[in-house]
Amino acid sequence: MSKVMQLDDAMRRVSRGSRLMIGEFVGAAEPIRCIEWLVEHEVGDLTLIALTPGMTGGFGKGHLYAKGLVKELISSHVATTTESSDAYLADKLMVRQFYPMGTVAEKVRAGAMGLGGVLVPVGIGILDQPGLFPQLTEPKPKITLNGKEYFVEEALRADVALVKGWRADPLGNVEFRYTSAQNQCDIAMAADYAIVEVNEIVPVGTIPPDRVGIPGPFIDAVVQGQTLAEQQDHYRNHWIKLGRLAPVAA
Amino acid sequence: MDAKVSVRPGSPDLARLSPREIIARRCAAEVKDGEVVNLGFGIPTLTSNYLPKGMSVIFHAENGCFGFGAKPGTLDADSDITNAGCEPITLLPGACVMPLTTSFGAMRNGFIDITVLGALEVDQEGNLANWAAKRNGHWWPGPGGAMDLCYGVKRVIAALQHIDKAGDSKVKRRSTLPLTGTRCIKVIVTDKAVFDVKPQGGLILREAFPGLGVEDIRAITEAEFEVAPDFGPMKLGLN
Repeated sequence: MSKVMQLDDAMRRVSRGSRLMIGEFVGAAEPIRCIEWLVEHEVGDLTLIALTPGMTGGFGKGHLYAKGLVKELISSHVATTTESSDAYLADKLMVRQFYPMGTVAEKVRAGAMGLGGVLVPVGIGILDQPGLFPQLTEPKPKITLNGKEYFVEEALRADVALVKGWRADPLGNVEFRYTSAQNQCDIAMAADYAIVEVNEIVPVGTIPPDRVGIPGPFIDAVVQGQTLAEQQDHYRNHWIKLGRLAPVAA
Repeated sequence: MDAKVSVRPGSPDLARLSPREIIARRCAAEVKDGEVVNLGFGIPTLTSNYLPKGMSVIFHAENGCFGFGAKPGTLDADSDITNAGCEPITLLPGACVMPLTTSFGAMRNGFIDITVLGALEVDQEGNLANWAAKRNGHWWPGPGGAMDLCYGVKRVIAALQHIDKAGDSKVKRRSTLPLTGTRCIKVIVTDKAVFDVKPQGGLILREAFPGLGVEDIRAITEAEFEVAPDFGPMKLGLN
């Protein structure tokens, strides 16, 4: 049975109050069409788990914060977009605590791998200082193993994962390009329902088995996103807008 | 005791250096041939411009890459080849990509030789603070990957301007901001001075900007420090 779906059918799994994980790294390899769908349908009250808020300047997830659709962000940072930064500082976006990025990633991986959590030494003596995160009602749990202290970091899971690949087949096998694999496979595995948005949908057998970045059984829905050419233009134009690339001479 | 001046003070070379360039040039002298290097954003990124010719290092990007190169031209930029700030990069021959969790494992577990990190404050215990300031009653903006770097990278170089806009020293006795790493800094590089941090804490003034003496540095530094026997002018790679 093919997992290829129309965006509307796949995104029906997301509703007001959903707990979402979105694949990305400061906006790179973001499922742009899925995010646009959330914005258009004004799906609010979301809890969003992501490595960072995204890329600044009116790009992708930034629109979610600008429209007030995200209630809580679970992340390593709040200010990679001015939209999320503004919402947080205006008390319109809740961040209970900040996690080192490697810790968020491992919490998601624990959720992906069927573990209860993970022991993390990063931030001991810092993130456990009283008063740092006033919204936490309990101190961050710690454990000592072989004389060394670790945070006991609970696994993270979500209702729906939105991930982004280069191409996928109808079985849900996903292939990535270059630096865009990130932790997208973990994210897909850490949610009850995983939607992958890709540049290209290809016949089964096209992706060499050793190039599969997310095995098909971890994916529930494959949706067509921007073509690779559209994606290249989308990012290039935004990078020019942000001054990260020089404008192209006419 | 004055820092011996290798370049004449007032020469165009010295006078035209911005604080950012001074810091980046001096940080470059901390990097050794063949090292795996992670540069933070801002001034640290500029360090790559001043590595000695012929030096070959492997740049690491947190999002999952060893061996990236310079920014591409606009038409060559690829949306799937990016660094940890979602800026377009290039992949050099010999580059490799890896999953994000592997990349952070490399950071925590000592596979990165050196990192240069910007800082809001540093202190004489070797503590680095760069992720949180109070804004509207909230801690802001968050650590990203900086705590993972401070935790596990073999040599952490702190790069910052010596004094803030109000004229106060950013090299403190004890930082009062939430820390990014405890006792993690090996070398502090400012636009005025270079300090080594002793393994048990405590600073040693090793270099000063050409023309500045020990007392000049003491006058602008809150932290206490010893002076190295071979105290001298900052290595700025100008010659």
